[in-house]
Amino acid sequence: MASDSSPSHRNGGPSSPIDQSSSPIANTNSSPGDAAQRRRRRERSPSDASLFATPPSQRARFDATPTPSSTQSGRGGRRSRATPMATPTSTDDAIPSSDGGEGEEAAPPMYVWGTNISVHDVNAAILRFLRHFRENPLQTEGKYMRAIHHILEIEGETLDVDAHDVFDYDSDLYTKMVRYPLEVLAIFDIVLMEMTSKINDLFEKHIQARIFNLRTSTPMRNLNPSDIEKMVSIKGMIIRCSSIIPEIREAVFKCLVCGYFSDPVGVDRGRVSEPPRCNKEECRALNSMALVHNRCRFADKQIVRLQETPDDIPEGGTPHTVSLLMHDKLVDAGKPGDRVEVTGIYRAMSVRVGPTQRSVKSLFKTYIDCLHIKKTDKSRMQAEDQTEHLNASDNMNEDVPADFQDKVEQLKELAKLPDIYERLTRSLAPNIWELDDVKKGLLCQLFGGSALKLPSGASFRGDINILMVGDPGTSKSQLLQYIHKLAPRGIYTSGRGSSAVGLTAYVAKDPETGETVLESGALVLSDRGICCIDEFDKMSENARSMLHEVMEQQTVSIAKAGIIASLNARTSVLACANPSGSRYNPRLSVIDNIHLPPTLLSRFDLIYLLLDKADEQADRRLAKHIVALHFENPESIQQDVLDLPTLTAYLSYARRYVHPKLSDEAADELTRGYVELRRRGNFPGSSKKVITATPRQIESLIRLSEALARIRFSEWVEKHDVIEAFRLLEVAMQQSATDHATGTIDMDLITTGVSASERIRRENLVSATRNLIMEKLQLGGPSTRSMELLEELKKQGSAEIHLNDLRNALATLAGEGFIVLLGDTVKRI
Amino acid sequence: MGGIPFDCLANPLGAVRITFERAISSGSDPKTFNGKDWGAIEVFKECLFDQNGLSQVPILDSSTIGRIKPNSLVRFRGMVQDMLGNELYVGAFKDGSTWRTNKFTDVASFPMNSSSEMSMWERRLLYCVPVPGQSPWVVEASSSAAAASSEAAINRGDNWASQQGEKRRRDDDTSVDTMDCNISNHEAKGSPSSTKKMREDGLPCQAFQSHELEIGETSSMQSVIPDFDTKSLSCLVKIYDSPETELKLNDVFEFVGVFTFDPELVASKNETDDSDALFEDELVNLPPNKRVPYVIRGIRESLVGYLTAVLGNDGVAAQSVLLHLLSQVHTRVDTVAVGKLSLNLTGFTKETVSVFGNQLNLAIQSLLPLTQALPLTVEYLNTASLAPKKDYKSNRLITGSLQLADGTHLILDETQLNPGTLNSTGVENVQILKSLMEMQKVEYDFEYYKLEMSSDVQLLVLSEGKSNILPADLVLPFQPSSVGSSLNADANALQAWRWYLATLRSQPHVIDPELQKVIENDLVEARQEDRSLGSNDFSRWLTMARLMSASFGETSLSLEHWQMVKELERLRKNRLK
Repeated sequence: MASDSSPSHRNGGPSSPIDQSSSPIANTNSSPGDAAQRRRRRERSPSDASLFATPPSQRARFDATPTPSSTQSGRGGRRSRATPMATPTSTDDAIPSSDGGEGEEAAPPMYVWGTNISVHDVNAAILRFLRHFRENPLQTEGKYMRAIHHILEIEGETLDVDAHDVFDYDSDLYTKMVRYPLEVLAIFDIVLMEMTSKINDLFEKHIQARIFNLRTSTPMRNLNPSDIEKMVSIKGMIIRCSSIIPEIREAVFKCLVCGYFSDPVGVDRGRVSEPPRCNKEECRALNSMALVHNRCRFADKQIVRLQETPDDIPEGGTPHTVSLLMHDKLVDAGKPGDRVEVTGIYRAMSVRVGPTQRSVKSLFKTYIDCLHIKKTDKSRMQAEDQTEHLNASDNMNEDVPADFQDKVEQLKELAKLPDIYERLTRSLAPNIWELDDVKKGLLCQLFGGSALKLPSGASFRGDINILMVGDPGTSKSQLLQYIHKLAPRGIYTSGRGSSAVGLTAYVAKDPETGETVLESGALVLSDRGICCIDEFDKMSENARSMLHEVMEQQTVSIAKAGIIASLNARTSVLACANPSGSRYNPRLSVIDNIHLPPTLLSRFDLIYLLLDKADEQADRRLAKHIVALHFENPESIQQDVLDLPTLTAYLSYARRYVHPKLSDEAADELTRGYVELRRRGNFPGSSKKVITATPRQIESLIRLSEALARIRFSEWVEKHDVIEAFRLLEVAMQQSATDHATGTIDMDLITTGVSASERIRRENLVSATRNLIMEKLQLGGPSTRSMELLEELKKQGSAEIHLNDLRNALATLAGEGFIVLLGDTVKRI
Repeated sequence: MGGIPFDCLANPLGAVRITFERAISSGSDPKTFNGKDWGAIEVFKECLFDQNGLSQVPILDSSTIGRIKPNSLVRFRGMVQDMLGNELYVGAFKDGSTWRTNKFTDVASFPMNSSSEMSMWERRLLYCVPVPGQSPWVVEASSSAAAASSEAAINRGDNWASQQGEKRRRDDDTSVDTMDCNISNHEAKGSPSSTKKMREDGLPCQAFQSHELEIGETSSMQSVIPDFDTKSLSCLVKIYDSPETELKLNDVFEFVGVFTFDPELVASKNETDDSDALFEDELVNLPPNKRVPYVIRGIRESLVGYLTAVLGNDGVAAQSVLLHLLSQVHTRVDTVAVGKLSLNLTGFTKETVSVFGNQLNLAIQSLLPLTQALPLTVEYLNTASLAPKKDYKSNRLITGSLQLADGTHLILDETQLNPGTLNSTGVENVQILKSLMEMQKVEYDFEYYKLEMSSDVQLLVLSEGKSNILPADLVLPFQPSSVGSSLNADANALQAWRWYLATLRSQPHVIDPELQKVIENDLVEARQEDRSLGSNDFSRWLTMARLMSASFGETSLSLEHWQMVKELERLRKNRLK
């Protein structure tokens, strides 16, 4: 006997009402109601095994999967209910349960084997629950009564039952259901069947109860022998789905001799027994019956592998997996890659060593018989997040699991903190000191503004682009690295050799030094993310021109093989650049310092100058920190900051669910501030016009204030957000757009690379040169050399004049047709 | 065997059974065991560790597998390559009216009646492979040890019954030999991966009470993982009674267990040798080898001399390599792996690499127990699978070149890398290498998501110019002045060096507050002078200081060693100019 791996044998004491797991349930849902009832009655009365074996058990849910428990239902089972694994399906008891279900006639109380669960009580409890449960006392009809009516109307097959409702209504029933799911669910189905037949006699389908939303969900790796035959709820990610397996439910045989068709033969413990002889009285031919495939009834079955999600895996472990068995409607309910929450019954099945092996392995395979499956994708914290404004209803009505709600609550609590902005700033790259304003800017970039798409097709980006320019050693790169790690879909690339598009890359070798570099495409990869570009200044002309398009249109066009493809690249750009000299020269403009075209520069919302001020205090802090890092308990270094996962969660949530709008007050403030900013350029009594802000700035300001509102999880942009946005912009501009000659902010420095004062100076020079030439040179007369002109000008003028400046001035004059330039010689015409 | 009435070594299952029956008869209810130990492990512990039984347990490997009898106690050393999850089995069942147990075995020892009462327990499955990158000397040593001990075991098996008296003495002799061998091995390899790794040979371990005993079951599956040569033996290990957290992926362990070879499974494609009842031992600390400092200084000096010779008389490089060989990740803060010191020797050409690169490679192989070398070429990057990847068809983690046990040394030869286009695999591989360089983390590909696994691999990059693909902590232009002559180090010296590297690597290290001040001041001063210095440089200096001090066997940093690091750094800077 020991060698028997086939489950049927193991069950089989002749007296054991085998595998009743299937029979009662099968009756409940397979055949048309009345017939089933009648049949059941017939079966029930004698406890004759042979009768049990014959009734068609077409039940989809649990049969055909012998379980260890059923193995022992024969002898040991009744006695030893106590051991966890011993909880047998013991549905022999469920049989009487159907009596109970039918109700009145069955007098003696029936109990589920080995327990004190009275079938009758459970039946009544379920009935009560279904009839009377109301979410809201004002409702006249119970929630599930409505649901049942609804199902009858649409001819549905399943009734979703929220386990929380069961618990709220009758916690005892809930406990029984979780501990003895097979039995209780069988009763559940019977109750449902009776109810439907009372409501509508003609309704022939069988409604199954699908339980979901258990109060506790078990981590996959904690499933252990004591959970067997219990109802469990686990979360995970589907990694494989088998193809659909047609599972035979009812077989029909035909006599090859006389052509007689047998009655449908049900599946008994995974087997269909072929009738040994023809049933027709006249024929009675032996071994003449053959299966007729197209008259058999099949059900869908699917085996699905579920794997732990990364957040559940302890360090140094690999993900666990578990098999799910799906039936009927659940087949193909999930696809590989879906994150799901599954409610089902944990079961074990003995393993055959091999089809021909006689030796029994002492092994069991475990799987979960699936009752309900729910996709939890919506709750994923790192979900594909969108800055675009979707229909608000789209994400609001989703039912989200409880623990996600908890998390959200936590995040919302955080958002309520008055100092959340500062706290987040502190949490951002805590290992980098100072630079608070830069960090605030980066924070805004991470949260992002709202993208807007007008019906006309015009769109406004919500992404904030930031450029950091600064001396070497000012932790620009570290900031970049940090953001790259934090940002959704962050891509990090070095400007040196970024080819901007394409998924391939190129290994290049510097011919002189032998240094190897990697040319990689990054922008496309960071769609909806942040593209961090280090050494922006070293980027090739070609790649940079691509950035123009990315930063304003948010697309990348690739021309390949005659086809121009436009790929989405809705990415924020965070770039950092080193000054072209080894150090930043404060006397020159940003553009002169980093040699970037002004057109590109103006597309950055914020430009920060990180200048190394040779601050001994800062150095000391750095030194202290590093020494501590190496020789002390690193835990003690942390201050009051959010940890990285919380920060990421906070960020993802805000990006996904918070879409702030401008309040009227904020809009007014924005207008006022902008006008003020513009006016600052007009010095009273001065004719020179300094542009301190352009329309681009107002867009930036809107984005920044939206991001600031998002940080607070606020749906409205308030006045103080706008004020802070102005402050951030001003801080950035003060650093990068200040004209050092006059000390005022001049956007021209960024938009054209030339400040207003510089422009005036140039204009002055041009007119001075013109005057000089008018004086010195005859029309069409002999030419003169530019060096001589320079000498003259120096004699006249007070200001320092470079040859270059003069050349520029001469070029302007030549453009006017005033002079002719031939190499170094100047001729008036 | 003392007061133990059963033979743990030859018939471990018998011993298990006896203890089980004993427990039952003393009134325990097997249903309440729930898979927990009932006293069997105590017996094995006593037998193996208190009575020196461990050395007589044969080591299971490809050379001994043919000779070891099924259901005997074996040792298997390997790295946890994959975790196959948990498995439910019938732990105890009633045979008539007696309880039987199936613990530590796959096949029921008594007929299991289908209807009998049973109790289901749980065990963990681990797939273990021989540690990748074992240096020849380690393999040699362990196989000789294995041969010796299995010899002993086999002798014992053959002669146990008949000629006990005479033969036993002989056996003892053999096992004494084995023990010697083990000791020297141990000293030599010295548990290279330090923290808690390799539990080498058990014998030295006895000085400690830190055995974490696990009983498990092994079965090996050859030919499942094609990357390992077929001679090496992989093993399916079944672990009983172990808390989940104790065993991690890529940990190296020696398991003691019952060997089960299931010929039926051989037929069904997986060649499965099971062994059962495993103890898995962890070496928590290194033996406190009290060698006097001057001995260490001596060893250090000779080792630096050797390295200098290997590196063509480049003393600075030799010093740097020494520090590099001693490096190890000791803490992680955020994404920073503190303590790593990857080294990039630049200035190699294709010609010099064939001379010095090879020499260095051989030298490191002879010094460290776990070494690997990867030649970087565009083709290799485009085709290799560096990170392990889960194959859901076979439900196995397919190993990659970078699935390495902690403490492995890896040489990346970049001189072979020519310009060329990388495909997406190549790009991914480069990113993986980079993240290993920078953070000591490898992303394992589980298809639906990636999982970051911490690693601790010493990385040495040989390149022409500074490698920007593989940014190392320490970049040093290599300047050999002569081609090394004869480099054969004698065995004794090698042994000493191996011991030195293994032991000093994991010593705790502190810095006293006064010196902290000095260092802080130095750092501030350095930064005032050279603004380009950043936290990375400082971090490297401190790592080097720690290693420098460790290389002299000190446990706290002294000013002298700090100065040495600064001097070394100065010399390096000069070369970079």
